[in-house]
Amino acid sequence: MFVARSIAADHRDLIHDVSFDFHGRRMATCSSDQSVKVWDKSENGDWHCTASWKTHSGSVWRVTWAHPEFGQVLASCSFDRTAVVWEEIVGESNDKLRGQSHWVKRTTLVDSRTSVTDVKFAPKHMGLMLATCSADGVVRIYEAPDVMNLSQWSLQHEISCKLSCSCISWNPSSSRAHSPMIAVGSDDNSPNILAKVQIYEYNENTRKYAKAETLMTVTDPVHDIAFAPNLGRSFHILAVATKDVRIFTLKPVRKELTTSGGLTKFEIQIVAQFDNHNSQVWRVSWNITGTVLASSGDDGCVRLWKANYMDNWKCTGILKGNGSPVSGSSQQGMFNASLGSANTSLQNSLNGSAAGRKQS
Amino acid sequence: MSGSKPDILWAPHHVDRFVVCDSELSLYHIESAVSSELKAGSLRLSEETTATLLSINSDTPYMKCVAWYPKYDPECLLAVGQANGRVVLTSLGQDHNSKSKELIGKEFVPKHARQCNTLAWNPLDSNWLAAGLDKHRADFSVLIWDISSKYTPESAVATEKVRLSAGDTEAGLVVTKPLYELGQNDACLSLCWLPRDQKLLLAGMHRNLAIFDLRNTSQKMFVNTKAVQGVTVDPYFHDRVASFYEGQVAIWDLRKFEKPVLTLTEQPKPLTKVAWCPTRTGLLATLTRDSNIIRLYDMQHTPTPIGDETEPTIIERSVQPCENYIASFAWHPTSQNRMVVVTPNRTMSDFTVFERISLAWSPVTSLMWACGRHLYECTEEGKASSLEKDIATKMRLRALSRYGLDTEQVWRNHLLYTEDMDQKLTGNKGSLVYAGIKSIVKSSLGTTENLRHSRSGSDRQADIIQYLSEERSLALQLCGWIKKGTDLDVEPFLNSLEQEGDWERAAAVALFNLDIRRAIQILNKGASSEKGDLNLNVVAMALSGYTDEKNSLWREMCSTLRLQLNNPYLCAMFAFLTSESGSYDGVLYENKVAVRDRVAFACKFLNDAQLNRFIEKLTNELKDAGNLEGILLTGLTKDGVDLMESYVDRTGDVQTASYCMLQGSPSDILKDERVQYWIENYRNLLDAWRFWHKRAEFDIHRSKLDPSSKPLAQVFVSCNFCGKSISYSCSAIPHQGRGFSQYGVSGSPTKSKVTSCPGCRKPLPRCALCLINMGTPVSSCPGVSKSDEKVDLSKDKKLAQFNNWFTWCHNCRHGGHAGHMLSWFRDHTECPVSACSCKCMQLDTTGNLIPAETVQP
Repeated sequence: MFVARSIAADHRDLIHDVSFDFHGRRMATCSSDQSVKVWDKSENGDWHCTASWKTHSGSVWRVTWAHPEFGQVLASCSFDRTAVVWEEIVGESNDKLRGQSHWVKRTTLVDSRTSVTDVKFAPKHMGLMLATCSADGVVRIYEAPDVMNLSQWSLQHEISCKLSCSCISWNPSSSRAHSPMIAVGSDDNSPNILAKVQIYEYNENTRKYAKAETLMTVTDPVHDIAFAPNLGRSFHILAVATKDVRIFTLKPVRKELTTSGGLTKFEIQIVAQFDNHNSQVWRVSWNITGTVLASSGDDGCVRLWKANYMDNWKCTGILKGNGSPVSGSSQQGMFNASLGSANTSLQNSLNGSAAGRKQS
Repeated sequence: MSGSKPDILWAPHHVDRFVVCDSELSLYHIESAVSSELKAGSLRLSEETTATLLSINSDTPYMKCVAWYPKYDPECLLAVGQANGRVVLTSLGQDHNSKSKELIGKEFVPKHARQCNTLAWNPLDSNWLAAGLDKHRADFSVLIWDISSKYTPESAVATEKVRLSAGDTEAGLVVTKPLYELGQNDACLSLCWLPRDQKLLLAGMHRNLAIFDLRNTSQKMFVNTKAVQGVTVDPYFHDRVASFYEGQVAIWDLRKFEKPVLTLTEQPKPLTKVAWCPTRTGLLATLTRDSNIIRLYDMQHTPTPIGDETEPTIIERSVQPCENYIASFAWHPTSQNRMVVVTPNRTMSDFTVFERISLAWSPVTSLMWACGRHLYECTEEGKASSLEKDIATKMRLRALSRYGLDTEQVWRNHLLYTEDMDQKLTGNKGSLVYAGIKSIVKSSLGTTENLRHSRSGSDRQADIIQYLSEERSLALQLCGWIKKGTDLDVEPFLNSLEQEGDWERAAAVALFNLDIRRAIQILNKGASSEKGDLNLNVVAMALSGYTDEKNSLWREMCSTLRLQLNNPYLCAMFAFLTSESGSYDGVLYENKVAVRDRVAFACKFLNDAQLNRFIEKLTNELKDAGNLEGILLTGLTKDGVDLMESYVDRTGDVQTASYCMLQGSPSDILKDERVQYWIENYRNLLDAWRFWHKRAEFDIHRSKLDPSSKPLAQVFVSCNFCGKSISYSCSAIPHQGRGFSQYGVSGSPTKSKVTSCPGCRKPLPRCALCLINMGTPVSSCPGVSKSDEKVDLSKDKKLAQFNNWFTWCHNCRHGGHAGHMLSWFRDHTECPVSACSCKCMQLDTTGNLIPAETVQP
C-alpha cells in the first residue's frame, strides 16, 4: 500500500529532477527556475529546505549526489552548456543557525558546446568520477584525482555517441568481475531507426571506454535509463524509458570463455515491456535493492513494477501525478485527504481504462 | 461554427464558467463533485468535476466565431461574428446592469456582407473589437469597431445599402462605421492583438502575416507565408507567436520576423486549433481534425536573441483526454495545465495535463516525485502481507529483529522467519564441516547393508528393502528424522510433529518408517484434535485396508484416487503403499513434499546407485531454481554458493546469503568472490539505511567466524615530545608504517589513568575544558547534582569509560575528554579554546546523522 503526500517545493518553475543522497536523509531538486534546492529530513520525517541558490543561467536538468565519503558534494547540469560541482561548507557565516547551509561552486565543466542533459557520479569504488552527456552526442568522464580538492577535475574520457544524448547511467556493480560500464540513451527523434541505447565498457588494456553493446531493439527516443543496484546478482538489469517501459537483463558471458582482456560479451534479454503509460515514458528509477522499478509517463501516472520469483514483471501500483489514486484499481494508494482538494486536476479517462485492463 | 462542430471558450475572469457554441451558445457552470452521485441536470466532466447548464442563447444564428469580452464586468458579454459579416454583442449573464444592457444587442455591420472569420478584443482598451472578414473585391477585411460608439447617422446607412431590419435601426443599436479599416483588397483569417502595444494588431491575411500599427495605419509590417491561421501570442513571451497552415505549426519571433524561428513537425491531418497554455511557459497545445489526441509542444526555452544558433529544445508530448474525436479544447485561464475538451456530439471532458514527472527512490522505501512545481512523497504504509512486501522492506525489518545473529538458537530464527529454512539447515550442519548430504551420500558407497521388511509391519512377507549405513543415518539426522546418536528411533520426531499439529506429515514419516499402525494412530489423533480435519479419519480407514495383494481392488483404487488428495503427504503415503518395490517416483518427485522428507525417504529406500542419481538430479533442480532447501544437499560448498547465487539472482536477498555463507567459514567458500561481494553489498545496504549498529554487529559476528576480516587499527596517537605512540595495548598488532615508532609494554596493560606519555614520561595535553592532563578519569559534570547521578547511575556507568576518551577536532586539533566536549557542544557551536572559531561539531554532515535503529519504534 502506497500513500502519497505533497511537499511545498516552492520552486518557481518546473522541477526537472529529484535526487537522494546515500542515506536518504538529504534530497536535492533542480528546476527551470535555474536553481537547486537542498532538503534535509527531520527526525519526524518532514523535509526542510536548507539551501536554495541559483546554479545556472538556464534550466537545470539534473542534479546528483556524490557518495558521502567524498563530502557533501552535488553536481548539476544545465541548458547553459555547463555542469557544475558544488560542495557544502561549514563556514564563517551563521547560516547553520538559520537552518541554512552554504554551498559553494567548486568547478564548472565547460567542455560541452550544447546543453548538458545528464550528470552522474560514478560508483564510489571507482573514486570521485563524474560522467556528463550532452545534446551534441558526447559523453565525458571527469575525475577529481585529489578528493580533497574538488576544484581540480580532469577530463579523462570523451566518448562520441553520434546521437544526441539524453541520459546516462553507471553500472553500480562494485564486483571485481565487472568492469566499469556506462549506458547512454539518446532522445534523437529524427526519423531513423538507429538504436538509441549504447553501452560502453572500460577496457583495462587500452584504458579506454569502448562500445560493448547496442540495444538494437530500442529505436524510439529514450528519455531515461537506469541500471538497477546490483546487490550481488550475477547479471545486470537495465531499465529504459522510451515509448514504453523496458527492462533488460545483461548476463556477462563468463570471462574464461571470451578472449582475455577484451570486452565482456553479454547475453541480452528483454524481460519486460509495458506500454501502460500509453505514450512516452519519462523517467525510471530503481529502489535500493533493484527489485521495484518506478516509472512515470505521459499518462500523468507513476507506476510501480516488480518481478515475482519466476521473473515475471507485474504492475504493483499506480499513482497519479498529484498523488491521488487511480480509480478502478483497488490495490493502489489510498486517497490522502490532505492532498489539497483545490487541485481538482483530473486524470483522463484513458488511465482508468488502462488500469482496468491491468486489473482484468 | 458550422453547426456540427462545437467550439469551447472559458470565461476569462469567471473561472468556473465556460461556453460551448455550435448553433447556439450554452453557458455551463463547472463545480467539483467528489461524490459519485450526479445532481439533477449536471453532466460529469471527470471524476471530480461536473458541469451544470446555466443558460442557452440562440438569438444569434449563423455564428462563425465568438470572442469573450476581456474585462471582468459585464460578466458574460460575448461578441459573435456571423456568416454575413455582422458582429453582434450578446450576453448569457443573469445580471443586466446598465452598462451591459446598453451593449447587448448592438450590431456592427460591414459595408459588404461576407463571412466573419475571426474576432479579437483588445485586451487593454476593451472597447475595441477587431473583426477579420473574407475578401470582397477591394474592400477592407480587418475592421476595428468601437463598441461604445453610438448609432451612426442615418445617411451613412442609407448610402451603404445594408439591409437592416427596421427594429434595429430604431433601437439605435446598429453601428456601421468602424474605427479603423485595414487590409484592403485582402482576406483576414486570424487576428490577435500584440501585448507589446495596445495599438499593434497581428493579422493572418490571405498569403501573409501582417502587423498593423493603428498609430499609423498606412504602414504595415508583413511577411509572406502560408501559415496564416490561428495566430496566437505566447502569454509568457510576448515576442513569440504561433500560427499554422494545414498540418504544420510555425513559431515566429517578432524581433526577427523574416521567417519562422522554427516549424514543428508536420502532422498528417490539418490542424484545427493551436493554443498556448496560459498557466505555464512555453506549452503549446495543438489539435488536428478527426483526432482524439492533443499534441503538446513543451518549449523549455524562450528563443534566445539573435546570434544564437542553437535550436531550443522542444519536447513533444501527446495526451488523450477521451476516446472520441475532439472537436475543440480550451485551456483553463488560471488552473494549472487544465483544459476542457468537447467532442462533436457535445460531450465534454475536463482534464489536466500533467507535467513530466521525475522521480527517485530513497534508500529507505519511499518514492519522491516532482510533478510540475510540486513534490510528492510516497511511502509504503499499512500492513502488507509478507508476500507482497518487497525484499528491501523485508531485509530492513529482519535486520532490525536481529536476523541471522542468533545462530546459537537456530530454531528461534527458524520460528521468526518460517519462510526461510536456511538458518535452521545451516545450523544443523554446524558439526558436520558444512558438507551437504550430496557428499555424505557419495562417501557411503559400498558400506550399505540391506534390511528386508514388510510394509505392513507384520513379518508375513518381506518385500521392502531398507538400506542402512552410518552415512545414511547421518543424512537422516540432517533431515531431522532422527536425533543425534546411533538409534534410529523416529518417535521423538513424530511427537514433535504431532505437537505442531502437522498430522499428515507425521503420519507419512511413520509410514515411511514402516509403522502403519502408528500412522493410523496419528491420523486418528489428528482428526479428533481441535481444528482437526475429520477427513483424516477417512484416510486412516483407507490406510488400514492396506493389503499386500498385488492385484487387489484396494491397490487399484488407491493408485488412481490418491491423485485427488490435496495434501502432498497423504498423496505420497498412498504412492508409497501402491508402488512396486524399488521404484518410488510417486514419493520422490512429489514436489510439494519438503525436500528434507524426500531426501530422508530416499536414504532409506533407494539403493546406492539410485540414491546417487536421485540426489544429483534433485540438487541440480534446486540449484537452478535457487531453492534454499537445496542447501541441505549441497551444504556450504561450491555447489552451495552456486545455489545461493541463483537464489540471490532471483530475490536480491543478500542478507540471507551473507549470513548463510558466513556460517561456512573457515572453509574456503568465504574466499569465493561472489560471497565476498554479497557480504560487501549487504554491509553497504545497512550503511545506507543508517543501521550502523547492525552493521557493526554484523562485522563483529563476521570477524568471529572469519578472523581475517578484522580491520586494522585506524588511529595512532603519538606523543608530542618523543613521537612515540602513547597507546599501551595496540602494540600487539604491528601497524602499518605510518612513521610512528612503537612502544610496547606487552604484558602490562596499565589502566589509562596515567597522564603522561609511557615513552618519555612527559605529560599528555590538557583537556580544553577542565585543563587537566588527559588520562585522568573525568569528574562528573559540574552541573549535575548528586541526586541526578543516582537516577542515571546505570546510564552513567555505561558512558563513564567513554567520557575518559581523548577526543579532538581534526580541523583545529583542539580537544579534551569526550564527556566534556559533548556537554560543551550541546550548547555551543564553536570550539571551547579561546580565539578558535572552528565549528568542530558541524564539520561532518554524516557525523550528525543519527543511526536509524535508535529512532525506530
